[in-house]
Amino acid sequence: MSTSTTTQPAVKMVTLTINDQSVTVPKGTTVLQAALGAGIHIPTFCWHPKLKSVGACRICYVEIEKMPKLQVSCATEATDGMVVKTESDIVKRGRKAVLEFILANHPLDCPTCDKGGECDLQNLTFAHGLDDSRFDFLKRRHIVPGVPSTFDDLRIGPEIMLNRNRCILCYKCVRSNKEAFGEYDIGAFERGNAMEINAAPGEQVANPFSGNLVEICPVGALTNSDWRYKIRVWLTQTTPSIDIFNSSGSNILFYKEDHKNRIFRTISRRNDEIDDGWITDVARYGYQLVHSPDRLQKPLMKKGSKQVPVEWEEAVAFVARRLAEIDDTKGCVCIGGLASPTLDLDSLHSFSKFMRKVIGTNNLDFRIDYRSLPEKPDSAFSTLSSQPFTIAEIDTSDVIFVFGSDLVKEHPNEYLRIRKARNFGRPLVYSVNSFNVKSADVADREFIYAPGTEEVFINGLCLAAIEENPGLSGADGLKRKISPADLNSAAKTCGVSAEDLKALARTLINGKKISFIVGDQVSLSRDREVIAAALCNLNRLVGITSRGQMAALARYADSIGAEKLGLIPNPHPDVKRALTDLWGGFPEMAGYHTEGMFSQMLKGELDAMVILGANPVAMYPDHEAVAETFEKLDFLVVADLFETETTAMADVVLPLASWTEFAGRYVNLEGRIQKAERAIKPLYESKPAYAILADIAAAARKPLFSSAREREEEIEKVLACTTVRPWPGDYLDVRPPAIDKDPAYPIMLIIGDDPHHRCYVTEKAASLVKFCSDAYIELSPELAEKFKVEDGDAVRVESKYGKLMAPVKVSRVLEGDVVFLPRNFSVTRANSLVSRKARIDWVRINKVSG
Amino acid sequence: MILNKESVALMQKKASQYPRRKSGILPALTIAYRQVGHLNDQIYREIAKAINVPYVEVAEAATFYTMFPKQPTGKYLIQVCHNISCALLGADSLVEYLEQKLGIKKGETTKDNLFTLISVECLGSCATAPMMQINMDYYENLTRAKVDKILEELRAKA
Repeated sequence: MSTSTTTQPAVKMVTLTINDQSVTVPKGTTVLQAALGAGIHIPTFCWHPKLKSVGACRICYVEIEKMPKLQVSCATEATDGMVVKTESDIVKRGRKAVLEFILANHPLDCPTCDKGGECDLQNLTFAHGLDDSRFDFLKRRHIVPGVPSTFDDLRIGPEIMLNRNRCILCYKCVRSNKEAFGEYDIGAFERGNAMEINAAPGEQVANPFSGNLVEICPVGALTNSDWRYKIRVWLTQTTPSIDIFNSSGSNILFYKEDHKNRIFRTISRRNDEIDDGWITDVARYGYQLVHSPDRLQKPLMKKGSKQVPVEWEEAVAFVARRLAEIDDTKGCVCIGGLASPTLDLDSLHSFSKFMRKVIGTNNLDFRIDYRSLPEKPDSAFSTLSSQPFTIAEIDTSDVIFVFGSDLVKEHPNEYLRIRKARNFGRPLVYSVNSFNVKSADVADREFIYAPGTEEVFINGLCLAAIEENPGLSGADGLKRKISPADLNSAAKTCGVSAEDLKALARTLINGKKISFIVGDQVSLSRDREVIAAALCNLNRLVGITSRGQMAALARYADSIGAEKLGLIPNPHPDVKRALTDLWGGFPEMAGYHTEGMFSQMLKGELDAMVILGANPVAMYPDHEAVAETFEKLDFLVVADLFETETTAMADVVLPLASWTEFAGRYVNLEGRIQKAERAIKPLYESKPAYAILADIAAAARKPLFSSAREREEEIEKVLACTTVRPWPGDYLDVRPPAIDKDPAYPIMLIIGDDPHHRCYVTEKAASLVKFCSDAYIELSPELAEKFKVEDGDAVRVESKYGKLMAPVKVSRVLEGDVVFLPRNFSVTRANSLVSRKARIDWVRINKVSG
Repeated sequence: MILNKESVALMQKKASQYPRRKSGILPALTIAYRQVGHLNDQIYREIAKAINVPYVEVAEAATFYTMFPKQPTGKYLIQVCHNISCALLGADSLVEYLEQKLGIKKGETTKDNLFTLISVECLGSCATAPMMQINMDYYENLTRAKVDKILEELRAKA
């Protein structure tokens, strides 16, 4: 969607002939890609469309006229006038010879190999009719010492099994790990006949993208322990779906068995515009939580002091009656609702209509873990977060600026994109954050600003841009609105030197196509309005969006959908108008957002809450305050997959169906609507959120929709509104608020997702728990030395608001006085350490002796 | 730390001379081998840290080069070439003679920890076959008498 004003240099085209077919491709294309593009299949083992070619396996042989020998098509560039044959006798003989060499060592254990049925080597061998070998010596055999098995089954990661005997040494796993993921936990060791793929000595293959290595293995050398030996691939059916643990919505495919109503695995369904065929381990193993034995099976109702299982009819009737009672006695202003931004469009819109039309309240929100929410509809942050962003545009950007984001944890797909842009082009990449992040390994330079000085840093960038290019329009007007208004003091406050700021400003001024990504350090900040205002100023001054894209990226699978459907008290005026037209009215009350509802609850002025798929007691900042707030409620109904801290406080708990159990649509961070098909029937008695809301509405004799068609049409109409908010017409005031710091709490705490977990649900996925099962305190080597702690030692983390204990993990990336704590584990509630009012969460740590 | 300060400083100096840091791995392995006499996982980790390259790439390079012993050896590592030229001129019987003389089998170390005997691929000195390398030095045009003398001299030096 971004408008690029630069014209791409004209690409030279070349025309060649493949199998008597004339093919025209851009110069630089390989013969293999030219053939694939023309629909001509050439077998490959080591080649991968998103990696550099190495020509290791030799199976992609083709015959090219005037070349004396067969050529590997993956590493031969197509040139004008080339005449290529891919199916001639000599090519077939060549392939057969390559297969014979590969099979010289490859075991013929297909009947017991889990790859059987979807193995490239098996298929090719079958196709070429090779039934005997001329090699009569023994095959090379790796045997694991001490393992009484002829299978060389080696566990090299929490979920990966390696069989070195089956490995054909195509290096695809090692290459993708290093090249595409920037991870170094698998390698190729020894040489010649002794060569083997293995985990780095003494380490495990446990990076956040490790599942992809199994998926791209052309033989059965790498297998997932979650899938192997459970079912043969030809007994399964597949269902297209999407990853709902991430805001980019990678495309995935579920393998399931209809008679068993069970999903067996997830693989990627390559979509070059979103995921390039790489999915995170969370997307790959996340499906397991659907089959967790902890799933809520029946509705629960509080009777006396205990929650007891009841039938749906009873629970639904009770919810409808209680809501009506509260409405009658206290008014609909005393009812509020929260819906998770990972729910599908149907559920979100049903929720909006249920709250606004059936109950008549405007107290609703989808922002379940954001710390600061503006009252005004036209906030600077709304502008920034509503901007269009296209993932694939990263590929061709020449300046990529990542601001305040720990990309691998927040936006893994975009991290891989930037990595690819680096591998195949020469973009300038900058990572700017308040602490060191892993994703900075793709950056030309990493800048660390002082905690809580995001807006000062951006002001500094503006001032540096003015110094670099005094001709920029409105420079004086800007200087009057910001403080500090001189470059040197801004540089001093944010801790990035004036020289560096100038160099950064220069790249932003000179960049031809810029991708500017704003992350959680801004989105979740108490002062995100000020920071967003500074970013609006920067864009106005330098004109980033006129040469690219700049946005605070959405964090959840359907955040943009929720925004577009108007799931906030004060939606975009167009959305509000559309809803009013559809429903013939809109609640007149102003309505409270998440934060506002919580304070109303605390005051006793909000008595009932409807919560769909969210767990604020565990996820919203300041655990104690939130728990106290929820205790004040008269009536709480929560629908979720599992029992959580929030359902424990509920009067009625309803079992929610997961995204695999019904067809749903989700809007990714680009605004792209994608569908996740129904893979299995809802387990136990669970129901999708839209069905639950329809049931309650029907019980209240106020039906939500006359038909599914009506619901869909309403959604179409609301989504048709443009919710992109225009950039402000003038520079905005940016006065940095004071940062409170108590010398007794000298260390900055960062709370976020572990790379193998998302939010509070993934600890129910067995495979993900194998990667990480407990909270930890990740701290810099300096801090580890200072407190004399090593991996696994227990430390106490203490803030003004709470304390907790967790084992230490010495970080490979963090530097200085900063610790990271994952928020994904119910036994270690990270939100108990933080307050809603602080900009930076300061803590102190102590070693727990003994 | 197994590596001493001098080794680390030298590795860092060498690594800084290449356009890509990765190219510093092989010199670093050689420096480590010269200091320690063999290589292991711990040393790979220290090299990775010293010249700021991924640990796995150090391990890959080290295991690729069979010339780096991965276990402690005797003070003198006798590497007899067993490739074609040396083999034709009696490398096999030379190994047998050494085994007899030292009282060990190929791949073993003498009890006094003085000699380790292995045979290796071509050392690029076919014109002077049969030959062997002991630690960093070549011994060429070998005969049994020459071997006796060499071993005696080394024993005297030790």
